[in-house]
Amino acid sequence: MPEPLARVVGFSYAYPERATPALRDVTLTVEEGSFTVLAGASGSGKSTLLRALCGLVPHFHGGQVAGELEVAGMSAREHGPGELAAVCGTVFQDPETQVVMGGVRAELALALEHRGAEPAAVARAVEEVALALGVAHLLDRRTDTLSGGELQRVAIAAALVHRPKLLLLDEPASQLDPVAGDELTWLLRRLNEEWGTAVVLADHRLERCLPAADRVFALVDGAPACDSDAAGFLEWAEDRGGALSTPVARLFSLAGLRPLPVSVKEARDRLRGAGLAPGADAAPPGADDDRLGADTDPRGAGIDPLGADAEPPSRGGRGESRRERRARRRRPAAVELRSVWHEIEDGPEALRGLDLRVGAGERIALMGRNGAGKSTLLRHLKGLAEPTRGRVETSGDVALLLQSPDDYLIHEHVEDEVGAHGLEAAGLEARARDNPRDLSGGQRQRLALEVALGGGPCAAVCLDEPTRGMDHAAKTALVARIDALARCGAAVLVATHDTEFAAAFADRVVLMGQGVVIADGPPGAILAGGWHFSTDVARVLGGARDALTPAQGARTLARELVT
Amino acid sequence: MSPGFVPVYRARPSPLHAARAAATAALCAALALVCALYKHPLVLLAVVVAVVGAGLAAGVGREVGRAARLAIPLALLVTLINPLLYAEGSTLLVRGGSFLGRRFDVTLEALAAGGLAGLRVGAIVMAFGLFSACVDPDDLLRAFRRLSFRSALTASLATRLVPVLARDALRAGDAARCRPEPPGRMAVARATLAGALDRAVDVAAALEVRGYSSARRPHTARSAASRHDLRVAASAALVALAGVAGRLAGAGEVTEYPTLAIALGPPELAVVAIVLSAGALPFAGRSARLGVARA
Repeated sequence: MPEPLARVVGFSYAYPERATPALRDVTLTVEEGSFTVLAGASGSGKSTLLRALCGLVPHFHGGQVAGELEVAGMSAREHGPGELAAVCGTVFQDPETQVVMGGVRAELALALEHRGAEPAAVARAVEEVALALGVAHLLDRRTDTLSGGELQRVAIAAALVHRPKLLLLDEPASQLDPVAGDELTWLLRRLNEEWGTAVVLADHRLERCLPAADRVFALVDGAPACDSDAAGFLEWAEDRGGALSTPVARLFSLAGLRPLPVSVKEARDRLRGAGLAPGADAAPPGADDDRLGADTDPRGAGIDPLGADAEPPSRGGRGESRRERRARRRRPAAVELRSVWHEIEDGPEALRGLDLRVGAGERIALMGRNGAGKSTLLRHLKGLAEPTRGRVETSGDVALLLQSPDDYLIHEHVEDEVGAHGLEAAGLEARARDNPRDLSGGQRQRLALEVALGGGPCAAVCLDEPTRGMDHAAKTALVARIDALARCGAAVLVATHDTEFAAAFADRVVLMGQGVVIADGPPGAILAGGWHFSTDVARVLGGARDALTPAQGARTLARELVT
Repeated sequence: MSPGFVPVYRARPSPLHAARAAATAALCAALALVCALYKHPLVLLAVVVAVVGAGLAAGVGREVGRAARLAIPLALLVTLINPLLYAEGSTLLVRGGSFLGRRFDVTLEALAAGGLAGLRVGAIVMAFGLFSACVDPDDLLRAFRRLSFRSALTASLATRLVPVLARDALRAGDAARCRPEPPGRMAVARATLAGALDRAVDVAAALEVRGYSSARRPHTARSAASRHDLRVAASAALVALAGVAGRLAGAGEVTEYPTLAIALGPPELAVVAIVLSAGALPFAGRSARLGVARA
């Protein structure tokens, strides 16, 4: 039996001046060539465990350590990150702080130069890693001209240039759009499969990385809670209420189907095998009732708009009926853009004669690839940008939450940022005297939203990519807040790439491309039949009955496809 | 994305970019040295013209323009402050009142001295703008790391973070405008600084996991000097020598008080001519036009 690459035995750790330990009695082994996914809610200890494996804990952060942690035979107590860097490469969340040098080539060379490698060896290694990771075309680019996805690929290449046996990644896709995130996951799979690099990856979007995982290690409040393969982990997650589960596993669980699938492909195959797949021959009524759990009510207990049971605002249906459209148009307009152009010096037009009318109380998901004009549209509504041509009309104040909530937090105490009402709305009464920078990502997002809202009524509330890096609980809380704002009469516009989130909150999806609206309709019409803009449930069911969420999908399976 | 008001490195197919970083940095330093040695307006203007000309010829006119936008307000500030602090000079322009036993008169000589000091400061900022736009910080790190690897890396990192922090500041400004009651500039600046410190900790962690703490002195590949290296280094040497020699010979004398006296003769004109021609030297001739960029 070969020695494991990393061995963690009874490891506990507390950050300096923190009473609660971040890790409690963790035991884990990482084998050579394995792909391990770390799962857990925000603050569960995933990042701390990764920082311990690369030596930053305790050497960089300080604090109290107990238990054993070895990487390639080196004890993390005695060997710091500089020495452990010889065997492990590490990539963190924010691509901007990963990259140290001004040019990509210099960035890739840095780790080898630190080790005193010969210039010829450095040049060869840089060339090879760039080709292997598909960043060769970026070698002569400046790092400040790269997109987030490109920067993160460069960061991974820089972490791998000295061929470490172990790659540690802490939510590397959390700041990226889903397309770049998916590309990154494929890249990690390739690294693992073709070069045998052991990967330990912490990520919130488990549906993206579980299919590649040999093993899933889940943490709850710093303690190990599950150590299993992906299928076993999904069973465990479903038993705990599904907060860490994937949409596809949730669909099966709600429909009473077992075993839970790890990927969309596996789910489709299982349904096809059971004669339940859309387009398959309909099974005789009742034939699979026990497997489907025909008596299972998909709208069971618990509120979970992202996964389980709450009816999302979409009403299903291939398109909007004439009556619905008329009713929508009769609503008073909260914001209206008429033939709005936004032209950029030395660049393409960000908006090209865009027309959009949003009624009071509407919940709109603005979707489209990067550069489609979503953020620019929101900036126009707030008045941060002026149209080159056209008109923007609003019926009152517009609140805008930009992509980085930290930019809104300028005081030393949470209570100084917002009044008592805002604290209550953000659910942060207990943290009133804390520094905003000590809050979790989801809490900072909620606080920043209340700062932007300012406690007063708004005609429209605009959120720009609010779910980046958010865990399931934080997204669920955001859906609830959006519902509350819409019920108060505010039009809510959310620019997002997150199709599951859009399906959970939106009653209308506006798809943008090259500065114009290319599709506009109910979520079922836009997201069920999409190629890229589609939820996992819609992919599994082939868009049947416009089912987007696990709850809708389970109902579709239970009531329609079987009959 | 450019941060808007800070000149940053732009890879261009020009002799200044094709030359090794140390040579181009030396040329910019020589131009700044002349500014430090002289307060003669003609010499300082010659430096400004040389910087602008070199910037335009190197294809970084926009970056030099950014440097000018930083330099001009600074120069004006110095110009206006000097006459308020110094009341010497025999030509009275404005008779001010007395405050705490001190008279505040504005004289032509004090104003002119302020203008010269402002021009000097502005010219130095412009020279550093050319440096920022034409010298690859990574190449400069390579050039200096044999002397002090860690210091060179820190300097390179600081250069890289300038545009990142400038973007942070722009974002913080936008976020401030999104608040119902926009906060004061100081509050935004303080928050931006706190964010920069957080970012610095993250960057330090990233450096640690790349083996910074156990870094060894790196090997350096030696390569023959190119024609661009030689031309740019020659220009730098010419500017520095002319500046130092002219100063030792007493060229560029300016007396502000009690009456303004600016020497203007062959020595001053010679220094001006050398500065201008040295600024043009890297771009002169057919071989210079064939300079090949690396990006």
